[in-house]
Parts: sequence; C-alpha cells; structure tokens
Amino acid sequence: MVTREEILKIATLSKLFVSEDELTKLTSDMEQVIAFADTINSAEDSTTEFDNINNLSNVLREDEIVPSIDRDKILCNARDTDDGHFLVKKRA
Amino acid sequence: MSERGNIKKVSELLRGRQISCEELTKSYIDEIEKSNGELNAYVKITPESALETARAVDKKIADGEELSPLEGIPMTLKDNISTDGIETTCCSKILKGYVPVYDATVWDILKKQNAVLLGKTNMDEFAMGSSCETSCFGGAKNPHNIEHVAGGSSGGVASAVGGNIAVYGLGSDTGGSIRQPASFCGIVGLKPTYGAVSRYGLIAYASSFDQIGPITTSVEDAAIVFDAISEYDERDSTSRGKNGTPSATTLKNSIKGMRIGIAKEYIDGVRDDVREAVLGASKVYESLGAEIVYFDLPVLKYSLPVYYILACAEASSNLGRYDGIRYGYKAEHYDDVNDMIKKTRSEGFGDEVKRRILLGTYVLSSGYYDAYYKKAQNLRGTIVNAFKDAFTKCDVILAPTVPMTAFKNGNAISDPVETYLTDICTVPVNICGLPAVSVPCGFNANGMPIGMQLIGNTFAEATILNAAYQYETAVPEAFKSSDFGIKL
Amino acid sequence: MKYELVAGFETHVELSTKTKIFCGCTTQFGGEPNTHCCPICIGLPGTLPKLNRQVVRYAVMAGLATNCTIPETAKMDRKNYCYPDLPKAYQISQYDMPLCVGGYVQLSNGRRIRLTRIHIEEDAGKLIHRHGDTLVDYNRGGVPLIEIVSEPDIRSIEEAREYVEKLQLIMRYIGVSDCKMQEGSMRCDVNISVREVGSDKLGTRTEIKNMNSIAFIAKAMEYEFERQVDILENGGQVVQETLRYDDVTNTTSSMRGKEDANDYRYFRDPDLVTINVSREEVEELRGLLPELPTQKAERYVNELGLSETDAALLTKYRRIAEYYEAACEGTKNPKTAANFIISQIFRRLDTESDKEDFNIKVTADALNELIKLLDDGKIRMNLAKSTLDKMLDTGKRATELISESDMGGLDDAALLALCEQAIASNGNAVNDYKNGKEKAIKSLIGFVMKNSRGKADAAAAETKIKELIG
Repeated sequence: MVTREEILKIATLSKLFVSEDELTKLTSDMEQVIAFADTINSAEDSTTEFDNINNLSNVLREDEIVPSIDRDKILCNARDTDDGHFLVKKRA
Repeated sequence: MSERGNIKKVSELLRGRQISCEELTKSYIDEIEKSNGELNAYVKITPESALETARAVDKKIADGEELSPLEGIPMTLKDNISTDGIETTCCSKILKGYVPVYDATVWDILKKQNAVLLGKTNMDEFAMGSSCETSCFGGAKNPHNIEHVAGGSSGGVASAVGGNIAVYGLGSDTGGSIRQPASFCGIVGLKPTYGAVSRYGLIAYASSFDQIGPITTSVEDAAIVFDAISEYDERDSTSRGKNGTPSATTLKNSIKGMRIGIAKEYIDGVRDDVREAVLGASKVYESLGAEIVYFDLPVLKYSLPVYYILACAEASSNLGRYDGIRYGYKAEHYDDVNDMIKKTRSEGFGDEVKRRILLGTYVLSSGYYDAYYKKAQNLRGTIVNAFKDAFTKCDVILAPTVPMTAFKNGNAISDPVETYLTDICTVPVNICGLPAVSVPCGFNANGMPIGMQLIGNTFAEATILNAAYQYETAVPEAFKSSDFGIKL
Repeated sequence: MKYELVAGFETHVELSTKTKIFCGCTTQFGGEPNTHCCPICIGLPGTLPKLNRQVVRYAVMAGLATNCTIPETAKMDRKNYCYPDLPKAYQISQYDMPLCVGGYVQLSNGRRIRLTRIHIEEDAGKLIHRHGDTLVDYNRGGVPLIEIVSEPDIRSIEEAREYVEKLQLIMRYIGVSDCKMQEGSMRCDVNISVREVGSDKLGTRTEIKNMNSIAFIAKAMEYEFERQVDILENGGQVVQETLRYDDVTNTTSSMRGKEDANDYRYFRDPDLVTINVSREEVEELRGLLPELPTQKAERYVNELGLSETDAALLTKYRRIAEYYEAACEGTKNPKTAANFIISQIFRRLDTESDKEDFNIKVTADALNELIKLLDDGKIRMNLAKSTLDKMLDTGKRATELISESDMGGLDDAALLALCEQAIASNGNAVNDYKNGKEKAIKSLIGFVMKNSRGKADAAAAETKIKELIG
C-alpha cells in the first residue's frame, strides 16, 4: 500500500510539488508501479554480491591542474547572474 | 536503381567525386525541411555548421587528401548528447535553451573526422519512454507509417535514419532505447557493451545502464560507426574502450558452427507475428550452418522490475541537478529559493519523468532501501550470472527486440506498468552490460517492421554483428526501406 | 545532581591537493567567484567525475597517522540532498565502505578518543546572502575533504580543545592539510549530550554544525552543556536537532525548518569504480609518514632528556621540530639548542602563526655552528647569547660576528697572566679574601672575565686565583 502521505513525503524529497488532483492519480500509479516492483520479493534472497557493472577498480587521475574555463562560459546558461555569481533573487 | 544511402555508398560517391559533400549535405537539409513536418524526427537543424564541414571535406577531396570512413557523411545525434554551442535539451522543457560549453566524447571523435551533423533528433524526455511521445516537442513518427510511433526513446534518430534524412545517427540505450525504435522503424540499432563507448557528455538517465550506440540502415554501417566511436576515454571512469579486432573486418566470416541460443522466456508472451518472425530467422540461421540451442533463463522474469527499480533510483539522483540556478528553465514566479527550485522542477519536468523520479526516490528512501534497491541490486548480480552461464551454452542469444510492432500514435498505453512491459526483451542486456544488435526480420500483416536482437557476451560486438550481417545478406528484403527521404 | 558532558566530533579537513577531487580545477582558496570552475565541478549535464589519486593517498596517510585500519576495498556513494551550493544535488562521499576505519587520538591525560572512520568527499560551493538574494560561487565546490568521525568519547571542554588541536597538529605534520580554521579548511560539527555522572547511558544529543574556531567550539559546547542541563533539571527533555552557534550572542539555535526532514538516500555512485588500496601501497604511505608529534615529544623526553614542557613546545609545529633536530645535530647537550629556541628565538615570535611559520633569519645550520663553538670552549655562554641576538637581527653567521681573537678561548699562560694581573691590581680584595671574606674573590674573577672579554672560564680562573693567593 502506498499512501498519499508517502507520496507527499517523497515528492518533498524530490523537490516536486504535487497538486491534489495529481496526488490521486500519482498515488494510484505509484501503487501499481510499487506492486510491480514488489514482484522481486518472490525471488530467493540472492547472495550474489553485485559490484560495479564492469568490475573496474582504481580508475584514478593524477593531481595535475587543468586550467578552468572562462567564467563567461560557466555562467552563460544561467537565467540570472550578478557580479560573477549565479543569482537567485529573493522572490520573483 | 535508386536505393537508400549508407555510409559505404555515400563515401564512395564522395571519393569518386560523383557528388560534392556540399551538394550532398544540401540535399539532406532540403529533404529534412520537406519531410520533418511529417516525421518530427529533428528538433534542431544545424545547416550552417553542416555546410561548413561539408565544404571542408570537399576541400580535402580536391586536395587529394585521404578521408576517414565517416568523413563527410551526413548524420544526426540524439538530443541528449552534448554538443558545444548547439542547444541540447533532452526534449525536456527544463533544458530548453541550454547550450553546452563542451562536446561529448563521441561527438568530439566524430567531429574530428568531419562528420556532417545535420541536427539533433527527438527523444522521449530524458530518454524515459518507449514511444518518443514524452518529448516536449511531440513524438517522432514512424517512416513506414506515420500513423505509428517511431518508438523510443531514440525515436528521432530511428525516424531520421529510417526516413532517410540522415545516413546514420547516434542514440543511447538505457533499457532498449536504441534497439526498440530501430526495430519499430525497420533498421539496425547496436547497443554496445557497457564501457565500450564513452558516456562523457551523454546526459545521464541511469548511469550504470546508459550506453551510446549507432542506429544505421545496414549492419556494416553499424560496425563502421561502432569501430569509430569505441575508444577508451580517460574522462569516463567506467570506460574500457576497444576490445579485440574491429567488428567491421569479421562481418563476412562464416557462421558455420556458431551456437545460437533461444531462451524460452524471451519467446513466451510476445505477439504471434513477432514470435513467428524470430523463429523464422532461427531457421535461416540453421540453413547458414549455425546450431540452434534452447535453454531456460528463469531469472528473466525479474529483469523488468529490477531494471525499473535501479534505473529510476539512479535517475532520481541524476535529475536532482535541474534546479533552475545554473542552466535551463527557471520558474518565473516564486517566494524563495526552495520554492523556486520546486516550481522549476514541477513546471519543467513532464509526468513520466516525475513518476520515475518519485519511484526512484521511494526505493532509495529509508525504510524501503533494503526491500527494493538492495534486493534489486542483488538480483542484478543473479541475472548477470545467469547470462554468464548461458554464454557457456551458446555464442549468441537470439530474441525478439520488442514483443510487438510500433503502436499507433497516442496509444502508448496510458497504464504505466503496461508501457514498461514493452521493454521486457530489451532490459536484460542493460542490466548485464552486454552488447546486443537489433536487426529487421520481416514485416507484419500491416506492413510494420519486426525486429530481432542478437545478444552477445561482453565485448562480443564482432560476433553479433557477424551473425547479423550474415542474416542481412541472406534476407535482404527484411531491410526494405521506407518511402521517405533521400535515395541515391 | 551532577552532570557530565558527552561529545563526539565530525571534523572536516580540506586536503592540500593541487586539484579538486573529481576534476583538474585548482583548490586555491579565494579567487574571483566562479573562476576555479569547469563543466564537471558545476555539474553540467553529461559530465562525469574522475577521482584524484592524491586524495586517496592523503586520506590513507591521515588514517595511518591516527591509528586507523585501511580496509582493502572502499567505494564512493552519493549523498542526495538539494541545496543551491551543491551543483549536482548530491554530494559524492563514502557511506558504508570508507577508506579508513577504527583509529584513535591519544590525549595527554592518557584517554583515547576513538575514531569511527575517516572518509573522503567533495566540498560544496559558497552561498552569499545579499538583501535576501542568494549569490552562488562554486570555487570551493569539489575541493577534497576528509571527514574524521569520532566516537562520543570526549568528556570535557578541555578534552575537546585538545582533541581538535591534536588533529590539527597531526594533519599539518603529515602535510595533508593546512587546517586553517579561519579559512574554513578545518570545520567541526559537535554532537553533544549530557548525563548524570556515573551513568553509562547516552542522553539525547544535539549537533552544533560548522564551527571554525577552537574558541567558539569551547564556548558553544559550554553554552550547550548548560542549556541541556537546565532542560533536564527542570524536568524537560532534550530534543534531537541540528543547531547553529551564534558567536555574537553566544547562543545556539535550531537550523532546519520542518520541510527538510533529511533522508539522504545514499547509494553507490555508478559513475565511479571500486577503490582497492593494496597492502603495498599502505606500507609505502606508512613509510612516507614523518615521526608524529607525540612520538617525537616522547623521544625528546626519553632520549634527549628534555622536560615534557619543552618537548611539547618544540613538537607543536613540524618546522620547529625539524629546526630543533637540525640545530642539535652533533652537539654535546640537546638541551642547549632547546634553550636557545625556547628562550631566545620564541621571544621574537609573538603569535602562534608566527611560530608555525617559523620565519627567522638564523638557519638551523647557523645555530648548530654557534652551539659547537660553545661546546668546543671557543666561546662562553654569555657571548653565545649576545651573538645569537645579533644573528637574529642581521642574519649573519656567528663566525662573521665574533672575531678570530675572541674565539679560540684563553690558553693557560694567558689565564695565568690575567690572574696575576688581577691579584696585583686588586690588593684590597686579596686582603679581604685572605681575612676570610670568601665573596671578595668574585671581584677578582670579574676582573679576569672583563679583561678576557668573556673568553675566560670563570671556574678555571677561580681555581687559578686561589692557587696563586695560596
């Protein structure tokens, strides 16, 4: 059972607003999806340890400086900037 | 005789100076302008840079310089592959207007070879979907019948290549997103071994599943493109690069004695016309001297929930960064920072993306982690082992790509679980990081293409492409072109 | 009723690598906003992290220096939370398989503060609040941190202070961090609870976040201890919460609103691979560790015969200890160099940071030379002291400041001549001495010393004069 409260809780964690209308639909959708996900519980408990998908280890870079990129490029996709910073206005 | 283009043919025309690269590119751009209204394959066209590259190629030809295999070939990229200076949106409102300041590694490689990028192609929003219809630009249409979807998520690439308004394209495959639309559009789609192609610059959906691969009109093209883009990349910690000989060199090898495996679980429950076509292909293989072996893969029944749990978990984290601050959409009205972030995300993401973020958050949240995420991760290990075991019995696994053919527009089932079921044949490969190629294997009664996939062991791209090429040679009619686009 | 304090620390230490943990941008402090940034550290879609080898090595060294075990396998995890200073909405950190586990820090009262673990992670960017607007600078985003997590073993504010100082000392000694609290390269979160003395149950704890001065830590802990005792004594219950310390009002206040009940949803970062630290590498890194301050101090006491106070003063900063050891090299008494440093040199270094920098004009080699002149009897202590002052002023060596004739001491004949001269020209003193005024001999010795310009040995002069007077 997935409750409306749970949906609201995970929506908050996910930084999403859910309206009352959406909540009903989402709760029933999620209910279905979770029931579907639950089918894995019929599987025997596996002792297989899953590492990373291609079993690589120690992929490391050396501590060498790579020049940073121009600030214009860092900021160019932001809607609001101020004085070299990303900006979020108090309210809009 | 006029035929659809492929890399080899276009390359020969260019080298033989039968057509200039600029003329060729122009004809593709004209054709896109003509057909894209119906196909909705492209979401962004880049004619200026395409023509500029084309002229550079023409100059090289005029100077008698050596051309690399992909030089001057008009192509496209799925809109989740980052292109410096060219808007890249993942077909999401939340990324509209976002212009990357760096190139994805695959595009870096192809750019150096003077690949002619015609534009960026349509996809399900953030690659989440099986019909391309979750795109904020509307779905791409199937060139065999525009009443039907092109499939997803790389629907735009498949529509463009199947509609002959690009010679080839790169898509990405997280749970079938290259193979499924290739199957729906009657063309070839290769999902490489995890780590064979760099993910650097591919906008992540589910990092441990995502892999970039080619969508082409022929098996040989898929091999050529794969050989070109499979390179070790030091920017991607999970990159492994090339392994073995180039796959294009072994296509013509005999497959006599090759063991082709069929797992019952792949065949059960798929639609009759699809099953018949795939079993028909197994007969072709027998006639080519391959040995067909049958076995069971019972863990396959868990692969779909395992995939959705793990992929959504990763997605919920990967998509956390879209907060309106550094790039992309930003809500216009808000009360404070937190409100801005929530409004941006609520207004910027579509329903399917939200649903997957919520599912992913749920399975990772305290109290549910063990029952879902951890359990699914362990099952992933079990499925990996089952495939390892299967590859002691056979060299290649033959399976349908999708249990059905392309659905009609707007019919991509409203029930989320039923929609997820369309991925049932494709997701096991992503769970295990294996390579698989989807190739056409016939048409159903309505003339819609049917696809089959050949699944190989890790880094066995050459083997599956060899088997696919042999089938293509034996049954060329299965590869029949749509009526759209450029014929050469 | 009597209460005791129970505290544990989570200490964030920025590592002194050249580049960030997952990209090649510089870790330099400051800089124009957003100029130490690249697509990776601002989290542009499609970018991928790649782990800096030096981060792993420094973290392992930090672990070895604090008696930790280094497991063979470690991994990186994502800690998911959304905040504007965190560009990916997750921090890459380590959850259940950190690089170092189970160490301790030994305090001077003999107690050991156990360490649960040390893990590596990335720092967040910086938010600036201006008239309600939020400005974001990601220069610090992706700077490598180690988080040192202690067990709740600290029982007093003095212990807390010593624990933090010890960590700072160790990390600076082994060169993995400058631990500059004022620049934020060392920050502490403190978990505090109180309980009745004698009880072994832990009380409900609060966590004071992000403190960057030892003085504030002490004040905040004191305030929080009293606040919690007050609550309990009035029959209330301490609420488990995260607090912020305000150094202006010297109070703590709750940090989070109700909205953010945290659930970090940790899971393995699929963009990064397993870390295996080979036993060979552990041994190699152990070999790179310098002698640690506590070990050094012990050795100074046991082998060099220094007092514990002097040993502590000399080992507080690595530069001073190294200077001391070099100045001592080949001299007769290790205390000599210690005294010169602690009395004369320290007098010129006012602040702790002056001591840490230890920027003086006299090289260890020059001090060593001076001490050897003393050892060889070529000069006497008072000359040595005044010479050292001149050396500290000018940066010249002793041999440049003391003339040849002043060196070489006084031979027996010269001493004899001077003593005879002293007796001849101080008849009164000689008579006083002969009449039993023992002290009178002092003025005779003083004459010899003065006329030898400090080169004579006072004891030898005394013996000689007594002989002559008979």
